[in-house]
Amino acid sequence: MNQRGLKTICLYLTAWFMAALFSLPLLMMISGSLKSAEQLTRDPYSLLPAEWNWSNFPEALSSMPFFVYLSNTLLLCFGCVIGTTLSCALAAYGLSRVSWPGRNWMFGLVIATMLLPWHITMIPRFVLLSELGLYNSLWAIVLPTFLGEAFFIFLLRQFFMTIPEQLLDAGRIDGLSHWGLFWKIVIPLSKPALATVALFQFVTTWNDFGGPLLYLNDPKKFPLAYGLERFVSSYGDQTHLLLAAATLFTIPMIIIFFLAQKTFIQGISTTGIKG
Amino acid sequence: MPKNSNHHSEARAGWLFSMPWILGFLALFVWPFTASVWWSFCQYDLINSPEWVGWENYSRLTREAREQQGFGQALTNTLYYSLLSVPLSVVMGILLAVLLSARLRGQAIYRTLIFLPSVIPVVAASVLWLWLLDPQSGLVNYLLSWIGIPPQNWLNQARSAFSLETIGVLQNYTTGEPLKLLGSKDALILMTLWGVGNFVVIYLAAISDIPKSLYEAAEIDGASPGRKLLHVTLPMLSPVIFFNLVMGLIRSVQTFTSVYVLSEGTGAPGGSLRLISLELFLSAFSDLEMGYASAMALLLFIGLTLATTILFRTSRYWVHYRMAA
Amino acid sequence: MIRIRNGLLLIGFACLISGVLFGLFSKQHVTLPTGRQEVVFWHFWGGRDRSVVDHVVQQFNDSQNQFFVRAVAMPGNNLQAKLFLAVTGGDPPDLVNQDDPILADWAQRGVIQPIETIAKSEEIAKLDRWMFQPAQRLSKVNNRYYAICNGLDIRALYYNKTLLEQEGLQPPRTLQDLDQIAAKLTPDAATARAMGLYAYLPDSRRLWAWGYVFGGQFYDATKGLAQVDSGPIQQATRWMADYGLRYGPDNLAAFRQADQSLPGKPFPLLPIQPESMVGRYGLIMDGQWRTRDIVEFTSKRRERGLPCPEFGVCPLPSPTVPMVQGRSQAGWVNGNFFVVPAGANCPEGAWEFMQFWIGLNQPKWAAQTCAAGGWIPVSQQVVETETFQRFLIQNPLFATFVELANSPNQFPTPVVPGAAMFKRTVEAAAYEAMSHPEESVTPILKQANQRIQLRLERARSQ
Repeated sequence: MNQRGLKTICLYLTAWFMAALFSLPLLMMISGSLKSAEQLTRDPYSLLPAEWNWSNFPEALSSMPFFVYLSNTLLLCFGCVIGTTLSCALAAYGLSRVSWPGRNWMFGLVIATMLLPWHITMIPRFVLLSELGLYNSLWAIVLPTFLGEAFFIFLLRQFFMTIPEQLLDAGRIDGLSHWGLFWKIVIPLSKPALATVALFQFVTTWNDFGGPLLYLNDPKKFPLAYGLERFVSSYGDQTHLLLAAATLFTIPMIIIFFLAQKTFIQGISTTGIKG
Repeated sequence: MPKNSNHHSEARAGWLFSMPWILGFLALFVWPFTASVWWSFCQYDLINSPEWVGWENYSRLTREAREQQGFGQALTNTLYYSLLSVPLSVVMGILLAVLLSARLRGQAIYRTLIFLPSVIPVVAASVLWLWLLDPQSGLVNYLLSWIGIPPQNWLNQARSAFSLETIGVLQNYTTGEPLKLLGSKDALILMTLWGVGNFVVIYLAAISDIPKSLYEAAEIDGASPGRKLLHVTLPMLSPVIFFNLVMGLIRSVQTFTSVYVLSEGTGAPGGSLRLISLELFLSAFSDLEMGYASAMALLLFIGLTLATTILFRTSRYWVHYRMAA
Repeated sequence: MIRIRNGLLLIGFACLISGVLFGLFSKQHVTLPTGRQEVVFWHFWGGRDRSVVDHVVQQFNDSQNQFFVRAVAMPGNNLQAKLFLAVTGGDPPDLVNQDDPILADWAQRGVIQPIETIAKSEEIAKLDRWMFQPAQRLSKVNNRYYAICNGLDIRALYYNKTLLEQEGLQPPRTLQDLDQIAAKLTPDAATARAMGLYAYLPDSRRLWAWGYVFGGQFYDATKGLAQVDSGPIQQATRWMADYGLRYGPDNLAAFRQADQSLPGKPFPLLPIQPESMVGRYGLIMDGQWRTRDIVEFTSKRRERGLPCPEFGVCPLPSPTVPMVQGRSQAGWVNGNFFVVPAGANCPEGAWEFMQFWIGLNQPKWAAQTCAAGGWIPVSQQVVETETFQRFLIQNPLFATFVELANSPNQFPTPVVPGAAMFKRTVEAAAYEAMSHPEESVTPILKQANQRIQLRLERARSQ
């Protein structure tokens, strides 16, 4: 019995220790963003700032066109989420609930593109999108999402497969075409999976750095992730401002995580298991 | 009930539904891939038309691989990073998942705290770690000093811990001198491990799927917790481990944003953060050598395909797929 | 489930609304005055330099009724990649300010236009007479102007005068003086650690400067040959690596952290702690922009009534040992230059603005800009203006740099296609040599030289 108690204590200690270790950098970021420059050099390690220096935030905000960046990020996120959800749902339906000769073969190709590193297609893609006149346009980043994304097609297909055939048959009796079945039966039933896809795409776009690096050259079109990197380049020594900017950039992600924790966790775990 | 017997219209519907993706596949994969293969045999700067040079780009790649310069250095950097960060993520992910699946009060809190870092945007995380890993005033060195480890150079040191050079350092070691083993790539690995939460979640879900009866049976046989982990949990997790190995490998080889931000786009110090992805970006858009960059990308693809195939081949020896019920 | 869905819907909705709102907001940018042609101008200045740039642009715009410059700040290291993407993407700016060694590559590939296609021939002839020699070296490819240098970056040796005087030492006149100071102040790593300071540490990236100081040339333009492994450069590398021997290569790495001698990074010569009189070095090579840091530091200390060390600056000391033909007033020069991308909409406006900035016709304007930004002018005519002379009296440390700007011994990275790789490889070789100070530098430099030569030949064949 005693040994068992000891074991439990050890478990608790380890759990607390690991949790503390993982959250420490984040806490440091937030506390650092509340310290003045002078405080940061004098006392970088304390978790609670001696005095709360809120002025870092307005200062960081005014050192870059934060709201312009934010609006671009949101526009990108909005466009990409619509694009991905729509195109991937369509493709996933075609690859799961329609039986046609090329289907499995096509699905194999979907999976294959997942293994293709982006480096290979980077240069020709750039050429193609600039030929289309999309260079320095948010569309260069949004448009490709309307053409499907293997990982999400895969995820949605797995989900669509679980919809009972009887439901679709009932729809067919009511005279629904595939188009009707897709919109009236499959989509309403798949909201959790679609939410997962939308959420993941949102996070991906929010974090996307390579796209803007390649395609955007006008600061009025920069999204936050890229704007923040630019900020790092020009305010390299102002750690307190960098941390404030990084905090501002991160907090929405944390909020979204807490709002949609279940969707996050379910999404990640299903993709892992079904693989 | 007979299924829709109209094969023709089924096929048409199938193609139509998949059309966005098919378009994307042709425009964003087939054509780029073909163009890349072609350009890899050319000298091309995107401005003047490509000029056929045969195998020159490839022979340059092999030469650089031999000399450990340019591509060679990037390859070594990438291998170092992938071969350490992927297995470490797997091991750490499993251990954390086992810990977090224990029935503890406040379990949800630990889980959230460990998962949270993986939702931090990479750019923000890089900014943060640049500060935490500062050799003079960074938190990491400060914490290390508590347990008596001398301050490390992290992002300022090209030499990494598990390299041949380290042996030389250890041989020349005189007591009293602070040992500086950990370098920039080790810092990158540390940062990656911080974001291991994604994997933990996958393992946790898999662990919760393991039938309780298996553990009960093991307990009846008098198995210790260690044996349970080894003989029940790990085999049951093996498909997920396999999946994470493949995904982790692909992800690690493509790592770009963090090294770009950490080194301000240069791959410094001493080129030690020039992973293949960064080397490729710089060769293409800074040195204007599209052909060379394309050849590098193709070699990377071939390497990655080989590695994945090998993983798949070996998987049947260690991956246990449960019979579908 | 419903809660999550609502949450997501809420987020989506918030995105839509705010995205559209902000999208509308951001449309209100500076409007182009009617009848004026817009000149889009990219530069990489951030932080406090940015306001100086904005001021020049505003002055120019006020003085104009034909052109209107819109400045776009693009801070970061890979501006050249950005420009290249913009040219190939089909949306280039009209004017770019740069400081990376890419001029020859861009000229060769037709990414930029030669200035003579825009400027009049008498203006070009005037440039030849008017501009400092180092600035011309930075502006020309094969004797044609492909760029207009608008500010020189000169490096010299800063020192903590108070510290040297305390130890009874003089600022170094020769390289041997420098070595002696190092040996006296911090004979080994243990002393340096105890003092929290290294007297002097060479930075591997500065082999360029020391190579020229030792009397070397990295490139023979007449033969088209790289000569990174030539005698003087080997001697310079050896000399740098010897500091690795003295202190141990790893200790060098730790201390080099904030050495990134970029404006915006802290200047390690300055003390950090309020009561301290020394920074992390006794002497350090750095550029003219650091004089501003010193002025600010000094005035801040005075304001708070704290004791303040004195600082000085001297040209890079040259070796006076036998067998070495050192150069005095020598060093590696870099600078900012304007280029006009191919496909620019308004090259004429770009040329107007360049002339305005460097002060080709009105040196007074340029003098004001240089004084405000702490930049080195590109012509003696600007230096001699009253405005700039007054600035020099207020900033005596700056005068050394201005003198060096007119020295024939200041050389840039060779302006040849492949220069970026040339520069990188030399620096990497120096890094390698300093990381293995016990080994011979010859094979490292030989290998680097071979690779550079290959690169140069490949560039020529294009």
